[in-house]
Amino acid sequence: MRANFSIRTKLMLVALLLLLIPWMSYLYVRDMKSFLLSGQESALALTARAVATVLHDRPELFVDEQINLQDEEEEEDEEDGDNQEGSASSSANEAVEGQQQNGLKLEIDEEQELTSADKQNGSSSRQAGNEISAVPLPNYINLNGDLSDWGGLLSNPGATQLAEAPLSGLTVNHRLGYHGRFIYALFEVSDDTVILRSPGFLRVDAADHIRLTLQDPGQAPRRFTLIARENGRMSIYLMDEDWRYPITGDPNYDLAAEFKTTDRGYNVELRVPRFLLSSDTRIQMVVADVDNPDTLDVAALLPITPQTDADDATRVLVESPEIGKILTALNRDDTRIWVLDQSQGVQAVVGKIATEGFSYQRDRPIHRGDTLQHTLNLARYYYNTTLAYVFQFIIDTSASKLDEFEDSFDARNDKIIARALQGEISNDRRPSIDQQGTILMSAHPVYLGDSILGAVIVEQSTNQLLQQQQRLLENVISVTLLVLLTVVAAILLFASRLTVRIRRLRNATDNAIDRDGRIVAAKLSAEAKSRDEIGDLSRSVSNMLGRLSQYTSYLRGLPDTLAHEVSNPLNVVNSSLHNLSQEHPSIAGSKYLDRATNGVNRIGSILQNLTEAANLEQAMQRETREVFDLVELIERYVDGYSISNPTQKFDVVIHAQPLMIEAAPDYIAQVLDKLVDNAIDFAAPDTAIVFKVQKLNEYAQIDVINFGSSLPEGMSERIFEPLVSLGRKNAQKLRLGMGLYIVKLIASFHGGDVIARNLSGADGVIFSFSLPIYHRDFADAQ
Amino acid sequence: MPRKVAIVEDDFDQRENYADALQQSGYEVATYANRRDALAGMRKEMPDLAILDIMLEDEMDGGFDLCRDLRALSPTLPIIFLTARDTDIDRVSGLRLDAWDYLTKPLNMQFLSVRINSLFRIVDSLGQTANDESKSDTLVIDELEIDADSMSIRWQGKELSLTLTEFWLIESMARHPGHVKTYENMMQITRQSYVERNTINGYIRRIRNKFKEIDPDFKNIQTVFGVGYKWNSGE
Repeated sequence: MRANFSIRTKLMLVALLLLLIPWMSYLYVRDMKSFLLSGQESALALTARAVATVLHDRPELFVDEQINLQDEEEEEDEEDGDNQEGSASSSANEAVEGQQQNGLKLEIDEEQELTSADKQNGSSSRQAGNEISAVPLPNYINLNGDLSDWGGLLSNPGATQLAEAPLSGLTVNHRLGYHGRFIYALFEVSDDTVILRSPGFLRVDAADHIRLTLQDPGQAPRRFTLIARENGRMSIYLMDEDWRYPITGDPNYDLAAEFKTTDRGYNVELRVPRFLLSSDTRIQMVVADVDNPDTLDVAALLPITPQTDADDATRVLVESPEIGKILTALNRDDTRIWVLDQSQGVQAVVGKIATEGFSYQRDRPIHRGDTLQHTLNLARYYYNTTLAYVFQFIIDTSASKLDEFEDSFDARNDKIIARALQGEISNDRRPSIDQQGTILMSAHPVYLGDSILGAVIVEQSTNQLLQQQQRLLENVISVTLLVLLTVVAAILLFASRLTVRIRRLRNATDNAIDRDGRIVAAKLSAEAKSRDEIGDLSRSVSNMLGRLSQYTSYLRGLPDTLAHEVSNPLNVVNSSLHNLSQEHPSIAGSKYLDRATNGVNRIGSILQNLTEAANLEQAMQRETREVFDLVELIERYVDGYSISNPTQKFDVVIHAQPLMIEAAPDYIAQVLDKLVDNAIDFAAPDTAIVFKVQKLNEYAQIDVINFGSSLPEGMSERIFEPLVSLGRKNAQKLRLGMGLYIVKLIASFHGGDVIARNLSGADGVIFSFSLPIYHRDFADAQ
Repeated sequence: MPRKVAIVEDDFDQRENYADALQQSGYEVATYANRRDALAGMRKEMPDLAILDIMLEDEMDGGFDLCRDLRALSPTLPIIFLTARDTDIDRVSGLRLDAWDYLTKPLNMQFLSVRINSLFRIVDSLGQTANDESKSDTLVIDELEIDADSMSIRWQGKELSLTLTEFWLIESMARHPGHVKTYENMMQITRQSYVERNTINGYIRRIRNKFKEIDPDFKNIQTVFGVGYKWNSGE
């Protein structure tokens, strides 16, 4: 079985092809992305090379952090015989590795932090965070209260930061430096009353002390209190949130600090191993001043590190100042440049990786009174969420591809760093921490002669690219959806209209010719004035109908015309025969003359019959219709017929009475005449003709039934056509087959119908003649 | 002195045959083939009766036009139309051409003679009644008066304008009120060669219409379905 597709369905299917546009765009955007990525990659490689070129053959820029671990340990041991220190130093190995790891992890953490910070502040500048710089120190610092080993730093006013608490007369000069694995802080505190921790007094906030807070992103801050009983090593405790009690009674040995009173107050030298202070760790240092020896209350808290409203913690920047200066020029918001030395120690970092403002997640809008606005927002939200799913699908596929050949960020980093340090230029990619973008990396070695001094690594996020791609796709999808909707709506409208028009034309065409093939309307009014193909079709059908109706009317008029033409010569023959018999009375009685006259009469009858239909059609137009009871007419008809033909029997079965119809009674009687004539012709001798009158729906139906013969196959329709007859019993009796044609004409003229069929049970034929029941007067008659 | 009949017919054979038959019956005959000749000839010498074919040579309705011209010359000239179709009779009525009778082709010569005789009788009787009022062979049935001599019929005292055939039909019905005149009977009465039921129906329709012009409630001619018609005298 074939499915029937309407024009509308077909057009809709064609419109679905528009869905190829977003797919095509997706392919295009994907190709464009890889093209742009490779462009970005080569740009990165160029940047890396440029930076490396600047750094070639300039070993002095690289701060010597090549640490001979052995030396360091010896040095540590020398400077300090303290066992505790020794254990601290022995962990230096781990510290180095830890620091390196931290260094490499650093940017990752930073991304997270920045992302969150940016969300809070709406600021994209890295400079917004508090920073203090640790300057490089020429040597390790001995924590002995002797400030001579701080070297030029003491006299360098730029490296000194001054903090004052005017109320309590507290002034702190503060310096930060680093060497090797350690960061050193020097506090020169001017305090009129220096109060040391009294022996036996357990509280750690009841004397002048320094509070140090270290905070790694995402972790609870570690609070340390540095307090002294006397000149020399300070006790360092990990504190609770209120700075009142140590969390454990045990002192902390990772940190070390030396306390020494001076004329003006006291100095504190602090050493922090760098593994505690990754570049991401934020630091807060506060000098707490206790002046009243009786109450031992904290009189003032003087923050040493810069504090802002938003952020009271500070990042410590540890970098090679020279390289840092050079790289500052290259500082860009979306690129991060690392300079690593041969031991993969970080020499300098500038720039950051832009990750801001890139999120698929949107908040579900909250209802705020305006329903329309809310609905719009909600629609936009769901639309965007749906889009986000689509994008996630697209992006996820690319991210998972990356995952396929790389399992660890660190490994990848290490790999290109290692390659660069071996003199290779290499590029790499890795997924960003938020899993939504890709970080492109390019590494280039820095040469010193033939040897390799270090490496430059440039990183850039593809987030921006991705974002653009995203926006592009989003636009394409939105526009396509819009276009699709519009086109589909337009097509639907167009197709509906087309369908309606075609249906109208079809109906008009159907109705132009009635069931019997007669042309009802020679011209279609539907679509006749349309200028398109449908209009053409309508006009050509009209044209066709016109020609057909001309031909039909010619055919219909043919018998009449023929009869008319034949009648004149027939008249000649007729009158000649008459004159002949007058002229020669001797032949007047001749049998041949009789036969000739008889033949002429038969021809006359034939002509009469042929013209009857045409005459009738014209005559019916003039006949006035009246409303009468069909049943009464039939009864009277049968009575009358029985008078003139007493031998013929009739059975009349009335199922409903009265049956009012509006018709010309003469013609109805004529129909009965023809039907009865026909029935008698085909009825077996001595059988009755049955009249059955009934009401079917809104029609009065007369069945005229004869028994004894049946219609041949396929004749039940044709029998009503002109000049179709079923043979004859009597050769002399005229049977032109016009009778039933006339019945049909009269039926159609009165809005009724006539059909013939064989009786199903017995041998016989039933002619059913139906006429519409007349309504208004029917009601009156009741 | 023989009466003069003019025949206007474009077909030579038919025209001559009619002429021969009528001459045989004792009439003086003038024949014309087309409208112009006929009008010119009849202007010169007016016939007593004219038989007109409707289609004359290239003029489809030449007979009608001729009839109009003749009526202008002589309002009382009896005119018989030869028609090919029943429907032509309706056309003649529609044109309000004052024809005395119609004959459908093919013609029966005997019937033609009968008609012509009857028409001359009417003419004669019309001439006599002008002189002699007393003589009257009138059949009166209720409101219907039939004058058999002048072949005129009055209904409610008003004269109907009837053709010869119509007169014959009414007379045959009215002579035996209540009796059915079958179609077969009536076909005989029309004295035409080929008549069918629809022809009779057409005559009756036109007759009823003529009565209804005088009396809109006229119902005295009743259809007996399947058989024929009858005259109902009153209630």
